[in-house]
Amino acid sequence: MSTAPTTRTAPAAESRARFWHAVRLVARREFTERIRDRGFLMSVGVMLAILLAAVAIPAAVGRGGDGEYKVAFSGPQQAQLGNAATAQARLLDVDLTVATFPDADAARKAVKDGDADALVGDGRITVNRELPDKLAAVLQSAYASVERGNRLAAQGFDVAAVDKALEFQPLAKQTLDPDADEREARKGIAVLGTIMLYGMLMLFCMWVANGVVEEKSSRIVEILMATVPARALLTGKIIGIGLLGLLQMALTATVGLTAASAVGTIDLTAAMVYPAVLVVAWFVLGYAIYACMFAAAASRVSRMEDLQNVITPMTTVLISSFFIAISLGQSDNTFARVLAYIPPFSAMLQPIQTAGGDLAVWQNLLAAALSVLALFGLVGAAARMYEGAVLRTGGKVSLKDAWGTRS
Amino acid sequence: MVWAQWRRFDGNRGRPKVLDLVGLGKRFGEKVVLRDLSFSVAPGQMFGFVGTNGAGKTTTMRIALGVLASDSGEVRWQGRPADAAVRRRWGYMPEERGLYAKMRIQDQLAYFAELHGMARSDARRSAAHWLRTLGVSGAPGDRLETLSLGNQQRVQLAAALVHDPELLVLDEPFSGLDPVGVDVMAQALRSRVEQGVSVVFSSHQLDLVERLCDAVGIIKDGGMHAVGTVRELRGDHRAVRYRVAVDAPADEDWAAALPGVTVLSRDAAGTLVELGTGVSEQTLLDAARAAGRVRAFAPVDPSLAELFREAVTATAPAPTADSPYAHLEAHA
Repeated sequence: MSTAPTTRTAPAAESRARFWHAVRLVARREFTERIRDRGFLMSVGVMLAILLAAVAIPAAVGRGGDGEYKVAFSGPQQAQLGNAATAQARLLDVDLTVATFPDADAARKAVKDGDADALVGDGRITVNRELPDKLAAVLQSAYASVERGNRLAAQGFDVAAVDKALEFQPLAKQTLDPDADEREARKGIAVLGTIMLYGMLMLFCMWVANGVVEEKSSRIVEILMATVPARALLTGKIIGIGLLGLLQMALTATVGLTAASAVGTIDLTAAMVYPAVLVVAWFVLGYAIYACMFAAAASRVSRMEDLQNVITPMTTVLISSFFIAISLGQSDNTFARVLAYIPPFSAMLQPIQTAGGDLAVWQNLLAAALSVLALFGLVGAAARMYEGAVLRTGGKVSLKDAWGTRS
Repeated sequence: MVWAQWRRFDGNRGRPKVLDLVGLGKRFGEKVVLRDLSFSVAPGQMFGFVGTNGAGKTTTMRIALGVLASDSGEVRWQGRPADAAVRRRWGYMPEERGLYAKMRIQDQLAYFAELHGMARSDARRSAAHWLRTLGVSGAPGDRLETLSLGNQQRVQLAAALVHDPELLVLDEPFSGLDPVGVDVMAQALRSRVEQGVSVVFSSHQLDLVERLCDAVGIIKDGGMHAVGTVRELRGDHRAVRYRVAVDAPADEDWAAALPGVTVLSRDAAGTLVELGTGVSEQTLLDAARAAGRVRAFAPVDPSLAELFREAVTATAPAPTADSPYAHLEAHA
């Protein structure tokens, strides 16, 4: 068709404004239609429930298993033993509470029921199933010191003087890698974040692909194309669904971090928040790249049944980069290190490698810049494919046809 | 050159035009779909577009709407090439119907109105107005998929009307409608035309086209075969036909012997004859009365369906000076 400039042709600025107006309308529809969808709300609920469980369960399990013990003492020396055990526990950094029961039988029953971790008396330590090493050390050395005092007293020594003579400072502790604990926590956040990143990328890119096919199969795309440019339609769809994804991602990260800090698993420091921020940021970049590819591929088919067929290359890339991230992301693997800069793999690999302390901020920025660069090329290519294919109904549009023709 | 050709096919000479399709050409690969197709539509005109399947109707409409780019030719609106800004003020109903199945109908219509440039509040008001006007039964908050098929089709029409377009292009708007739906659609189109909106629609239901349209275009093999009002297509100086029913013996061929009279058909309803130039219908009546009691005697105008059939079949008479089709400029 003739595109000769005429007096009626709108100035470029006006047509650009109209383009972005259309993009905004399309994006708004995608966003509001989907956020009202019961399926979406349920998926958000399930996601948050899983996340809260992932945060809360280890914290709950850790309470009973590690570091905090309730011990009952019986027999004539129970007070002495209790005091000695409390002192030893403080030395060994074990949280120990002395539990009191009316008699030894009641104490034994409490151990059996799990209300107490151990009973010391009658020359033995009684536990229900097993005696943790730390608790064993505390109780044995407490018993040893009480027994030693008793023996010394029996031999006529002045126990108080002996104790005074034996008083010394315990060995000081020096940690060469002070934030090892914190790093483990960061890695935990990054692994959880990577799993979430993968799930969300897959979910929202599939939504984009489904949306494209839905419009094509219902033929509504013909009415839309008579009104707005194909590019505005594509851009609006990707942005609208992406905003929804970003919202869910940010919500998940906030709830996850808040919950983890509330139950005491992590302290909310910048070092802990950074991996989460990185996951959200890479969701944005990764989504933009994958969504373009998913949309371009989806525009080739007119039926939902054919969708899987054309998006397999993209899902394969996404799935394999996920497995690479999980299996190699925290090891010193050259392949994974290199892949961390190559879009679209970088989206999955950057957060997890950074959390392990292997990547500096400038390296994050470099990978992000490479992704943005790739995105620029990809947007143009995807729009061209989409324009070429979206009005051709019937069978699968070949890549050549989609690329070659602008309807 | 192109303009000269276009003038020849201007069925409504003298009326100002808003929409001009000038010399459109389109090929898909090796297949030529449109060749030098031209026609014009006046403001407030209902233009019917008829042609066999595959003649190029849908392609023409898609090109007019800018959904498809033509290889050659031009779409003009008010004398200037139509651009995206102009087309936003048009309404389109494609042959393949489709809306968002799960979207609430008022939201859906308002969305389309906004895409066409309406402000949000106006869009919602207009959506509600058209749902009411077209008698869509169902609450504005209902999802499209919960409506009956007939109601879905009304919503589809509303989607083309909701932004108050200056031009309506409808591809087969009547197909699949029940008689009530046809009336609703026809009434909606008429009321638009009364508001000065130009309407272009294609249809296989030629009786409807004849009843509704001010102008008709017959498209054949990707070109405009004939354009004009139905009256113009019939022709003012067309040979006159009469249908005569006479109570005469079945085997008596009373009309065949008359000079200048051609018998076209004979059936239970009577004999269809065509009078040659200079032959008076009184001569025919006298002959009929001589043959027996005349039960019916009436002039017959060919329907659009007949004109169409004559126009598109290969056996259509060549346009010669004597032919009643001389005014129909075959365009091939």
